[in-house]
Amino acid sequence: MTEATVATSQTSSDVIARPELSSDDGKVNLLIAMTDLWKTYDMGAEKVHALHGVTFSVRRGEYLAITGPSGSGKSTLMNLVGCLDTPSKGEYWLNGKNVSDMDDDELARIRNQEVGFVFQTFNLLARATALHNVELPLIYGGIPGAKRHEMAKQALAAVDLTDRMMHRPNELSGGQRQRVAIARALVNHPSILLADEPTGALDTATSYDIMNLFEKLYEGGNTIILVTHEHDIAARARRVISIRDGQIEKDETIR
Amino acid sequence: MFPRSDSQPEAPGYAFGRRISLPPRLRSFPVFRIAAIWEAFLVAAASLRQNKLRTSLTLIGIIVGVTAVIAVVTIIKGLDQTVASTFSSQGSTVFTISKRPQVITSREDFIKFNKRKDVVREDAEAIFRSCTACWRTGIAVNSFEIAKHGDQKYEGARLRAVMPAAMFEIDGVSIDAGRLWTESEGAAARDICVVGPDIITNLFPDVPVERAVGQDIWASGHKYTIIGVLQPLGKIFGASRDNQIYIPYANYEKNFGAHSSVVVFVQTETAPQLEQAEDQARAIMRNRRGKTFRDEDDGFALETQDVFLNLYSSATSNIYIVTIGVSAISLVVGGIVVMNIMLVSVTERTKEIGIRKAVGARRTDILTQFLIEAVTVTAIGGALGVLTGFAVAWLIALLIGFPLLFSVWSAALGVSTSSIVGVISGLWPAWRAARLDPIEALRSE
Repeated sequence: MTEATVATSQTSSDVIARPELSSDDGKVNLLIAMTDLWKTYDMGAEKVHALHGVTFSVRRGEYLAITGPSGSGKSTLMNLVGCLDTPSKGEYWLNGKNVSDMDDDELARIRNQEVGFVFQTFNLLARATALHNVELPLIYGGIPGAKRHEMAKQALAAVDLTDRMMHRPNELSGGQRQRVAIARALVNHPSILLADEPTGALDTATSYDIMNLFEKLYEGGNTIILVTHEHDIAARARRVISIRDGQIEKDETIR
Repeated sequence: MFPRSDSQPEAPGYAFGRRISLPPRLRSFPVFRIAAIWEAFLVAAASLRQNKLRTSLTLIGIIVGVTAVIAVVTIIKGLDQTVASTFSSQGSTVFTISKRPQVITSREDFIKFNKRKDVVREDAEAIFRSCTACWRTGIAVNSFEIAKHGDQKYEGARLRAVMPAAMFEIDGVSIDAGRLWTESEGAAARDICVVGPDIITNLFPDVPVERAVGQDIWASGHKYTIIGVLQPLGKIFGASRDNQIYIPYANYEKNFGAHSSVVVFVQTETAPQLEQAEDQARAIMRNRRGKTFRDEDDGFALETQDVFLNLYSSATSNIYIVTIGVSAISLVVGGIVVMNIMLVSVTERTKEIGIRKAVGARRTDILTQFLIEAVTVTAIGGALGVLTGFAVAWLIALLIGFPLLFSVWSAALGVSTSSIVGVISGLWPAWRAARLDPIEALRSE
C-alpha cells in the first residue's frame, strides 16, 4: 500500500471492492488497470474514435513502451494515462483510484501526486531557474518552502545537475534541460513516470545518456511508461504495447 | 538512484522525504495553499518586470483614472473646507433675526413673508435689554449702490448701515487704516463711512489706503467722508466681500427714513450659549408680536450661518456626485486597459499555463495567479495615481488659491478602488486561463 492510498481511505475501500484487483496475481502491485477504454471526439457531423476498447494493466515497477505510428491514438492514450484527459467510456484505475470520471481539480491533484511527465520539448518554464522548475510540482502540492528546496535539490543531484541549479533553461544544453524535466517529474515521487518522446529533440549521444538515466530509474524501482514511435527507443523497455487505429495491436514482453 | 519506497519499504535510499499526508480536502484549504499563492505573487512580479512596456501602459491607464478621481475629490474637499471656514468667520456664535429668511424657495412663501411685520430697531433694543444669554446685539441694513468719487465710479458697492459700533466685531472685520467711528459719532448721524478695500481700489486707483482716509465719496446721492479702511476679507466664489461702505444707522435713518425692515444680529460669548440665546430672543420677538404658543409661524426668521452652509451643500452635492462620476469613467477605461493587457498576457502564456496544469496546478491556482497579477499592477497604479492626483490638486489649488486637505482616507480609497478595478477586470482573463485545457495549452507555442 502506498501512503497515498492510506491517505484517501474512501478509495482504499473501493480497491477492496473491485473484483479485478482482488484476483490471483498479487494485485496490490497493479498500478494501472484500464478496462475497455474509449475516446471519442465529436467533430460536428461525424464522431471520431481515437481509441476503441483499450484494455491493459501495468504493475508497479514495470518499464513499458507504448509505440505506434502517428495517428494511431498513442498520444490520446498517453493523455489518458497521464490524467490530462478523461475517457469517453470505460474505466481507468490508477494506483487504486478510479480516475475515469474525476473533475478538473481532482485530475490536477492526481497529476501532481501520481504522474511525472517528461515531454519531447522539455516544457520547462523559460524564465525560472532549474531549481524553481523542479520545485513547481511541490509548490502545487503544498509542500512548505524549506522542505521543497531540499527535495528539489536532491532530485537535481540525482540527475547530476547540482552545479546547474540556478541556471535558466536557455543557459542549459538540450540534454541538461531534459534532465531538469526528469528531476521535476521525479521530485514528488509519482507512481508513474510518463515520458512522451523523451529523446525526440536530442542528438544520438544525448539520447543515449537520457535512456541510460531511465534505465537506472527503472532499476531503482520506478514505474516508467515511454511513449515513442522510435523502435530502438521502445526496445530499451521490458514490455512494448503497439497501438494501431485506436486499438492494441500487440502487447509483448521483450526482455 | 531513485529507489521507490513502496517497492523497497525499508529502503534507506528513499531520501526525498515523505509525502505530506494531509487529507486532500484539508490540503486544498486556502491556508495550505500559501506556497501556491506566494508562487502566484512571484510569477506576477516577474511577469510585470519582464514586460516593461506592457506594465507601464497598464500603469498609465490606471494612474490617469485614479489621478482624475483623487484630484477631483481633493479639490472638492478643499473647496468645502474653504466655504465652511469663510461662512464661519462670523463664527458659530452669531444668529440673525429678519423679516424674511435669507433663502426663499417659493413665490407663496415670498408673499407670506412680505406680509410680516417689519423688524425694527426697537426689536433689537428689546432683545438687548432682556436677552441674558446675548452678548452683542446690533442691527444692519444693506443696499447695493453706485459709489462715486470725482469721475471715478464703482457700481458694486454694498452700503451697510449698522448700529452700534459693535457690529464691526459681529461682522468680524478689522481696521487697516484710519479708525472706526465712536458711539457718539454714530448716534449723531454724521456723514462718515468705513469702507472695504475694494472701494479704495476702484475709486482711488493707485492711492495708498492711508491717503484715502479723509476723502469724500458719494453713494445714493449723499456724501460721506472716509474715516477708516478695513482689512480685506477675500473672495468667496469669485465674489468680493470687501465692497462694503459702512455708515452709521442713525445717518441712514436721517437720509432714507426708517421705512425698511432691519436685520438684527446677535452674538453670544461662547458657542454653547447660542441655543439658549436663540430661545430667549425668539421668546422676546414672539412676545412683541403677540404670538401665543399656538401660533406656528414666528412672524420673523431666526437663522444662523448654517443656512448658507446648508444651501451650499444642497446646491453643490449633486454637482460633486456628477463630477466624481465623470472622472470615474476614466477609471473604467483604465480597467478596460487592464483587461485587455491581461487577455494578451494569458494568450502569450498559454504554454506556461499548460505546464503548470500538467504538474498539478488547479483552476484556482491559475485563477489566483492572474488575479494577483492584475491586482498588483492596479494597486501600484492606484498608489502612484493617488500621488499624482494630490500633485494635480495641489497645482490647481495653487493657481486658484484655496487650502487643500490631503487625507489618508482618500489615498486608501484610491488604492482600494483601483485594486477592485483590478479584480473586476482581471477576473475574466484569469477565468479563461484557469479553464484552459492542459492538452491544448501544452500544444501551443
